Amino acid sequence: MRLLEYESKRILEKYRIPLPAGRLVALGEILKIDKPVMLKAQIPIGGRGKAGGILEASDTEDARQKISHLLQSNLRGYIPKSVYMEEKKAVKQEFFMGVTYDTVAKAPLAIFSPAGGIDIEELAQKQPELVCKEHFTVASRLPLHRAREIVAETGISGKLLLGLSPLLSKLADVFLDYDATVVEINPLGLMDDGQLVALDCHMEIDDDAVFRHADIASMEKDTGRVEGEKRMSDFERKASEINDLDHRGVAGRMIEFDGNLGLIIGGGGASLTAFDAIRAHGGRPANYCEIGGNPSVLKVKELTKLILSKPGVNKIAVIMNVVSNTRVDLVARGIVKGILESGKNPARTVAVFRIPGAWEEEGFKILSKYGIPIQGRTVSIDEAARIATKNSD
Amino acid sequence: MSSASEFIRVDVNMTTCVGIARCGGCVRVCPVSIFQKNGDAPAVVEKNLDECILCELCIQTCKPEAITIRKLYEA
Ligand code: SF4
Ligand code: SF4
Repeated sequence: MRLLEYESKRILEKYRIPLPAGRLVALGEILKIDKPVMLKAQIPIGGRGKAGGILEASDTEDARQKISHLLQSNLRGYIPKSVYMEEKKAVKQEFFMGVTYDTVAKAPLAIFSPAGGIDIEELAQKQPELVCKEHFTVASRLPLHRAREIVAETGISGKLLLGLSPLLSKLADVFLDYDATVVEINPLGLMDDGQLVALDCHMEIDDDAVFRHADIASMEKDTGRVEGEKRMSDFERKASEINDLDHRGVAGRMIEFDGNLGLIIGGGGASLTAFDAIRAHGGRPANYCEIGGNPSVLKVKELTKLILSKPGVNKIAVIMNVVSNTRVDLVARGIVKGILESGKNPARTVAVFRIPGAWEEEGFKILSKYGIPIQGRTVSIDEAARIATKNSD
Repeated sequence: MSSASEFIRVDVNMTTCVGIARCGGCVRVCPVSIFQKNGDAPAVVEKNLDECILCELCIQTCKPEAITIRKLYEA
């Protein structure tokens, strides 16, 4: 469960992490503003600033108009139910600090960077020397001396080191105490007067642990905090209807993107891996879509037709991990039939078909008949993504 | 009797089939409803043919060996 910014900040406040003075404002509320403020739409998704969800206001009338505008805006699929108003701070430097869970190492991970306010994953790729990451254990938590080592690793010393380290240590406490999956302060601002302030906060709680926290559980039940879920596009809704055609398997959990390469990919980690690998190879997915659990030929066929009906999408990449509970031949039938019913040539439409596993001999016979190259289990998902990207135009 | 699909063809030889009243095994066993009762004869449901999972339960249950299944993607 992703908390809204003001909900996360209430938690930071309990741990004495300094924040700019702020409060929620309601539509029509009589305001009196005598210095510049930041108005922040409260939506449970990142990229708010770029989407126009954070505005600056200089006086009362300006703020009134902008609050009304924010509360009527569709921001990345959400219409905010509330606006958080904060004093505007003069920031000298921005930092990033976060704690998340590393599922590979099976341990919490503290992350610090002296370059805040930007995409930390991109920074870690481009300038890894600016990002310090350290695992810690739930039992020993992140004591001050370890937090200090992490911050010092990035070249920070003196007073700043003494100011930042306790905040990172407290953030690790927030992470552990609230069963969070991620807590980030980005940016953490250094003010002219030397004070460090959490300017924005992103916090997500493990859904399975919400019941352990009465305050979070009541937020979850509050239907008024978020305007629905992100609204489905027509394309996503049609995919969901396809998934409901029959009870067999999953074929239709769809998220729409604006690329040119249609994807039909295996659910769970493999689909995320395939999606990321295609992007890393420079491919532009038209959608994210999971299939699994041996869906009917009908569902795969209809899904294929739906994806190919998107303007600009002429190719489909079909990638799954080695399957045991989905039959390769049935997926192959659905893909081929969907392409034929779309009036296209299977050999020219399938950018890659990489599903090894149950009934693969039968599946490969079908692919061969329609001139679709066979990629067996010796072809990695990354390699399949590379082939798909190469064939996507 | 036969029917068209991109991948699977199912034929029932009506001269050897003993009829639904005396048997009806294929209608009962097929997990994806490829056979349906049509009077006393089993009729092949065309729209379901693509879903045939090649389990051969119909063939095993059919004592007079009236059913044949062909994979159209094989040479
Ligand atoms: S199982 Fe064979 S004999 Fe029995 S009804 Fe079906 S086709 Fe006829
Ligand atoms: S092989 Fe199985 S799925 Fe196919 S028609 Fe016979 S019983 Fe039905």
